[in-house]
Formats: sequence, structure tokens, C-alpha cells
Amino acid sequence: MSKAGQSTDDFMECQNEAINYYGNKPGDKVEDREKKQQPTQRAGKARDLYFSAKSSTSMEFPYWYTRCWDELDGEIPIIRRAESLKAGFEHLTPVIYPGELLAMGKASYLRSSYPMPWLSEAFFMASEDKLYKEALESGKLTADTFTTVGKGGGNVTKSVGKVISIAGKFGLRVEEMPVMLEVAKRWKNRSVDDVGHKYEQMVPGYKEKEAIMRSVICMFDSGYTLPQGREVVNYYYPLQYGIDGIIRMCEEGIAEVAGYPEMDRLYFYKGVVTMLQGVKSWILNYAEEARFLASLEKEEKQKAEYTEMAERLEHISANPPRDFHDALQMLWIFHVAVLNEDAISGLSPGRVGQVLYPFWKRDVDRGLIDRAKTIELLECMRIKFTEIDCFASMGVVGGVLSGNTFNNLCVGGLNKDGTSAANELEMLILETGISCETPQPTLSVLYDEKAPEEFLLKGIECTKAGAGYPAWVNNQVAMEFILNNYGHEGMMMEEARAWAIGGCLESSPGSWMPLNLDGMIHWIPGGSAPATSVGVHFISLPKILETVIFDGVDMRTGERIFPSHGYKLETYEEVWQGFRDYFSRAVHVLALTNNVQHDAWRKISPSLVNSMLKPDCLEKGRDLGQMGARYNTTFNIESCGNTTLVNSLASLKKNIYDEKNYSLEAYRKAILDNFGYHTAQETGSYSLVDQKPAEHFSEYRKIHRQSLDAPKFGNDDPYVDAIFKEWEDWFCEMAHNYRSLYDQPMYACQISVSTHGPMGAVTLATPDGRLSGTTFSDGSVSAYPGTDKHGPYALFSSATCWNHSQSQNSQLNMKIHPSVVRGREGSRKFLELIRAYMRKGGFHVQFNIVDSRMLKQAQADPDKFRSLLVRVAGFTQYWVELGKQIQDEVIARTEYEEL
Amino acid sequence: MNTCNDCKFYLPVDVFKGICKLSKNDILPEDNFCEKAERIAKCKFCSKYTAEKEFLGKCMSTTLAYPDMIAAKCADFEWISLN
Repeated sequence: MSKAGQSTDDFMECQNEAINYYGNKPGDKVEDREKKQQPTQRAGKARDLYFSAKSSTSMEFPYWYTRCWDELDGEIPIIRRAESLKAGFEHLTPVIYPGELLAMGKASYLRSSYPMPWLSEAFFMASEDKLYKEALESGKLTADTFTTVGKGGGNVTKSVGKVISIAGKFGLRVEEMPVMLEVAKRWKNRSVDDVGHKYEQMVPGYKEKEAIMRSVICMFDSGYTLPQGREVVNYYYPLQYGIDGIIRMCEEGIAEVAGYPEMDRLYFYKGVVTMLQGVKSWILNYAEEARFLASLEKEEKQKAEYTEMAERLEHISANPPRDFHDALQMLWIFHVAVLNEDAISGLSPGRVGQVLYPFWKRDVDRGLIDRAKTIELLECMRIKFTEIDCFASMGVVGGVLSGNTFNNLCVGGLNKDGTSAANELEMLILETGISCETPQPTLSVLYDEKAPEEFLLKGIECTKAGAGYPAWVNNQVAMEFILNNYGHEGMMMEEARAWAIGGCLESSPGSWMPLNLDGMIHWIPGGSAPATSVGVHFISLPKILETVIFDGVDMRTGERIFPSHGYKLETYEEVWQGFRDYFSRAVHVLALTNNVQHDAWRKISPSLVNSMLKPDCLEKGRDLGQMGARYNTTFNIESCGNTTLVNSLASLKKNIYDEKNYSLEAYRKAILDNFGYHTAQETGSYSLVDQKPAEHFSEYRKIHRQSLDAPKFGNDDPYVDAIFKEWEDWFCEMAHNYRSLYDQPMYACQISVSTHGPMGAVTLATPDGRLSGTTFSDGSVSAYPGTDKHGPYALFSSATCWNHSQSQNSQLNMKIHPSVVRGREGSRKFLELIRAYMRKGGFHVQFNIVDSRMLKQAQADPDKFRSLLVRVAGFTQYWVELGKQIQDEVIARTEYEEL
Repeated sequence: MNTCNDCKFYLPVDVFKGICKLSKNDILPEDNFCEKAERIAKCKFCSKYTAEKEFLGKCMSTTLAYPDMIAAKCADFEWISLN
């Protein structure tokens, strides 16, 4: 059974005291995780350097981009964009750190990022600036003000000396601040954000959209904020043809189309050539720096490594890779190159172990690489991915991403021919996930019944290590979604097997590409669609319900969000109908405004790097925004707070309509008075564990108790599970009624990432007994912390009361005490648990193997826990870099002490 | 007085600190030049740069520029006379 909160009887015994109803009671002794390994000396040093480094931003790339853009006024947009990217790439100052085996990064610091004012410029202006005030008024920045960013680790949370803090995370040298503001102002009325905003106002009901944003019913505009990502990269073309080979392909394309109709193809090919010239210069600048460092170096081994690095970079600046090390370096370069063209989160490398396997196996067979060298390289890869930062507003980077960048690496799944795709290189990828614990790349096992037991047990070993990865994802359920969603675009079973996770948990279509090595064809998987989650991001389900209860008004601010729904709410069916009405209104206007924003993006700032990589853009001569990719049904609608919504509906149904314990008016009063408790903002704690009663709390004691005791999702209780299923079936179906910019149906996406923190912060108490300002339930099928009281199998039954393949995903987060899975017997038991969930049709489950008391200690004394990693919702992050809202929620999650 | 931030041997780790490529010691961007230091190409050391106000200026009298930008890859960079 779970070590959940107290029972009703316990509660009754302490009626006159504050309730510790949810969450866990710490025991006596803190237990550490079982598996502890150390990285190689090289990776260990690199990770120590990472730990010492702060998130840093610079103006080099945006300065040159903007300068070039201004010089090319009047040029064809995609050519102007390509030249600007080229200027950015070729002027980046190379930085190579001692001991690196993989070179290059986003910009000239270890944890580098930079503003992209061509996308959006208002959020990093000073708060007194007019641009900032305008953005605040339109609701674009409201989420920022309710977001907490982690105070420790690499975040630059305040300005110190000659460093300015931006968005509570990024440091900028004071000497670059004036140029940042100057460059930003030059994009006013020209950025994707501004141009999109101009036209989104033409959408009927636009004012309602602004009110929705101000109330944080929706977390952020996805059309320009993070216009790419939540997708899988495809590295095939550079690995097969090399940069010069791709340039030749484009030159042939130019010769073929110049002067003929569909001239856009000409500009696309020319743009790719231009961009690649910039990427070549960027690589060669690094090669030059490596040679410079070699010239300074006295130590022979390091000197040789610099020389070898220079030679490698020079080679792959033009040619396909010769070996595994070359291929890994090239993969990394193009991964970063994509990240440098847009603000991106969730750019997943995908099934890297299968993409690189032919190179690695050939090296092994030739005796060129051994296990130790492979481990060292893979650990270096982990460090490089962990260095990735994304420069975005506080609401996005803190409230949604928690500073994470979601580079998801998948292992397992099936080959093109339907056999298990798990391989020896993937075993080593899992191994390095244990030996070199870092947040990136996060790992996901594509669980399939055909996977070898040894492979699955290696995955278990990695999960037990406690870094929160791998997540376990159901290969068959995902393939069913992929086939259903992309079938009308020609997706067949064979190609559905090439899917992978893009971002934290977005099922993304792939393709099999024929890698020819020494005359032998190896079918390697890679992403085959643009961003699979641009759309409506994220909708706060409990906040929508709040507006239903108060007839369209956000009672926190007093602002009317929706027109009166016109129902008296005399029946449960009217509540449910009111919810569906408001939810549909919100989705309708947000889908349209997002389409406008994304249209501005594809016109002003079309993708070149990512387009070049994705099949079939090069073949078609079209970028991603012109549907150059093979699959384009990629817009979604994201929910947040599923379980809080469903538990609230169950409470209303039971207490008002079925048993008639209370009137709706009594609930309205209790909600407005927060059941007699102080709010989370007042207490500074965002989980229910530590909430403090106000003087008059006894007035609401009974209604609060009965709200808490109403049926809760996660206990295999048909009363509440039926409500959950009704919600899911309706949501997954209604999402198809909305059309994307590419005139394709949209689909449901159910992940919370970190939004359940800030969205909970602006939401009053909910009818399930949750208090005002506290976080919502995490994920989409997780139980609310402490309410799943009948063990994991009951939770699994609840979670699978609906068909998960209707949605792009579902998300289940669990916390297990380390003692439960200790030893080989524990591993077997653990695998059986996961298997049981997968066999019931669960799409995804991930675990924190951690003692909650350790998290409490880490919250109190973060400096001692710099390297502690936890799983949030689809990602792993350093504890000290999480905002307090999310820290409190993770601590409060139910901790299983038995399976 | 030049500082390490202006040196071609300065390897920035983040906005607060860096590593000397020669000594491999941890250093700060504000540390003074040592005897082995050499200037790195920056706009403020370029003959085509004109300062206008603090941390802002013009490149070739026409284009926005800023003094601390590294110009090692700028085709128009030209060292100013150090006299």
C-alpha cells in the first residue's frame, strides 16, 4: 500500500488542527539510492566544470543576424533569413574546454544561449519599458509573474557586479546590455511576435483570447515562443552525404528549378546552400581554435587530442563521417545548428543508438573502438547535451520548462522489419545514463514485448539509479496513435515503427532512411515531421471549471473571461456542459490565434537547418513551413490539471448533486474563502502538506473534509474513473474538430511539464479540497499526491480506464522508495510492475526512486545537493534548479513503500 | 588598463569567470593583463569603430556596434594604432 496521507479517521482525530491530509510523513532514516557509479575521469571533470558554470547569454549571434538582416532589406525573405543565419554562425567565437572530445556549442560560454529578438523581443526588455508594458497588457507575460525559478545551481537569479540577470535565469555582461536593448528595439513591429500579434487581433473573439492569457487559463502562445521542437531530429543527410554532398544536391535542385514555375523551390535550395556555408565556417573556426590550442599545449596527450579534433572538424566540415567518433561529432553539430536557428525546447535526438550503430559496429569489428572508449564518448555526449540552454521568458523557461531543454534519446522499439531494435550500443547508452547522471539527454525505453529481457533489465538498472530516466513508453500504443494520426498522409505500419519521442513525451512520426556504408544498406530511423506540438499550450482545466462555477468570471482578478454560460447549474450535466462550452471557446480562439502567429513565423523566420534535415524537404524543395516534411498533422491541444479537474467534478457530483450535502452556493463561498485556509502565496508553500488554517477554518471544516473524502482518481473507483473516461473520450475527439495552419486536424496532448505549478498558483481552491495557489496534479494520469491509497495496481486500473492511443500521450509519474526495488529481486519486481502497466495499455510511466526526506533536506540545504536529480513530468532536472512550486509538488507525491 | 576579458588567451566559462588558455588557471574577466597577455580583436580595438555612448558605437560610421564584441572573424577588422 502507499504511504499516502492520513485516513478520514485520522483526520477526525485532529479536527481542531491543521490537516496534513495529503503528502507524506517522513520516517526516521533517510535512504539513499542503491546504484552509485562514477563517470570516467574525463566526463567527471567536464561535469564538475558544468556544475561551476552559470547560464550565460551573449549578443554575438543576434548582433550579426540583425546587422545582416537590415542590410538585406528587400531581399526574398528566405534568402534574407539564410544570409542572417550564415552571418550569425560564421561570427560565433569558438570555445573549446580542456578535455573535450566533442567540440562546439550554441555560443561562446559553457551554458550558452542568446536572445532571438526576431522571434520575440518584449520579454527581456526592462519592466519599465513600453514594449514590456504592452506585452503585459495583452496577457503575454502574465504567466511570468506567477512562476518561480530555481534559486540555485546554474541560474543567475539576480544581477551582481557586472552581470545582469534576465528572466531570473540568464546572466549577461553589463557591457552587452545596451546593444541587447538596441537590437531588440530594432525588431519592434518586425518580430514574429509583433507581426503575428498585429494579425491575430483580426481573429473574431480576440479580446477573449487576451483575457484568457491574463487569467493564465492558457500558459503561453506557442506559435512564436518556441516555434520548433517537440520533435525528433533526422541526422541522415549529413551522415550519408556530408555537407558538401548536400550542397551539391541543392545546386542540382537550383539548376533544375530556376526559371520554372514553383520558384519557391529555387529560393529554398539557395537558402540551404547559404546557411550551410555559414555552418561550414562555424565548424572551421572551431578547427582553427583547436589548432591554436594545440600550439599552446605542452602536455602531449592533450596536444594530440586538440590536433585530432581539428582534423576531425576539418574533415566533417565537408565530408561524411569516417567512423563513430566523426558521426557522433557530426550529429552533435547539426543538433546545435538547429537549436541556433530558433528558440527551441524538446529537440530530441531520437533513436541515436540505432542511428549510430552501423558506424559503431564497423569500428568495433575493425578493432578501432572498445567498450571503454565508447563509454567515454557517450559520457561526453551526455555532458554536451546537458550544456544546452534555451533563452526564453520566465514563464516559458521557468513555468513550463523548469530550465530543461528536453532532448529525449529513445532506446528500444522495433526495426523496420518488425524485429526488436534494441542493440549493444543502446545498452551502453543506458550504462552511461547510470555512470554519468545528467539531465540531458533524458532517456526513454520504447517498451515492446519483443525486447530482450537483458535489455529491459538494463533499463531497470538505470531507472533504479534514481536520475528519473529512462521513462517507460509503450511502443505499440504509440504506433497505434501514429498510424491513426498520420494514416491519411500515407503512414503505414512499417514506417510507424520509426517513431520516437520528441520533447518530453510527444509521440512523433519517423522515417527509415537508407544509410549506405561500404555498399551495405542500414535502415536508420529519424524524425519526419516538424514540431509535433505547436498549437494550444497549455489549457488549465481546473481554472476553466472555476470560471464555470463563477459564470465566466476569474474571481482572483474579478475580470470576466467568458460570457455567461447561461446555465443555472442545477444538475451535474449542466456543470459538465458548461465546462465543455468554455473549454471549446478557449480552444477555438487559441487555435486560430496560434495559426496566425505560426504563419508569421513561417513567413518571417522559416526554418532552414531543420528543414534541410527532415525528409522530404530537400526532395520537395520546400521548408517545413511549406509542408516540406513527409508528415504534417502536427498541431496539438495541451491540457494541464486533468486529475484535479476530474477529482473536482467527482466532488461536485457527489456532494451537490447525488447526495445533496451542500448547495453550489456553499461551494462558491468555500472556494472564495479557501476553505478557511491561508493561501499558498501567503504561506510560501505550494503543496497541501504544509498549508495553514486561518482563524475561521472551522467554519469550513466539514465541507472541506467531505471534499477531500469524495472519490479520488487513482483508486480503481468506478465513480470517479467514469468521469475521467468521459473527459478523455470527449477531449480526444473534440480536438480533431480544430484545424492547424496546415489544414490538418489537431489532436490531444496530455503532459503537464511544469505548468501545474504556475497554473495552480493562479487558481482558487478547487471542489476536490485542493487549496488556493497550490499546484495541480502532475502529468495527466498521475493521482493527486497522497490520494492514491490502494497501491500501484489500482492506480494503473484507473489510469487505463480509457484508450491512451487516442491521444499523443498520457503521463504517469510515480515515486518509489529506494528500499522497495533494492537488489536483483527488486529489479524483477520493478520490471513486472512496468510490464503490468504496459499490458493494460498505459502509454507512459516514469519514476522517482527517492526518499522524500532527502528532498526535504535538499530543499533546506541546496548547496549540499548540487548534483541531486529528480524526475518532474517528462524530464529530469537538478533539484536546485527547480522552482519552489515544483519542488513542493515532487516532495508531496505519494511515495510507494510496497509494490 | 586591459583586463583578461580582452585577452586572446581568455576562455570564458560563463559571464563571471573563465580559464587562462596558457596557465590553465581559473581567472576572472576583470583581472588585469599579465605579461603574457595579448589583445584579442574587439570592436574597441578596431580603427573603424567610433564610440558614441557607454558600450555603444558605430562601425564605419554607419552601423550599430559595441566595443566589447569579439571581432576575430570580422572581415573589416583593422587594429587601431596602440600609440
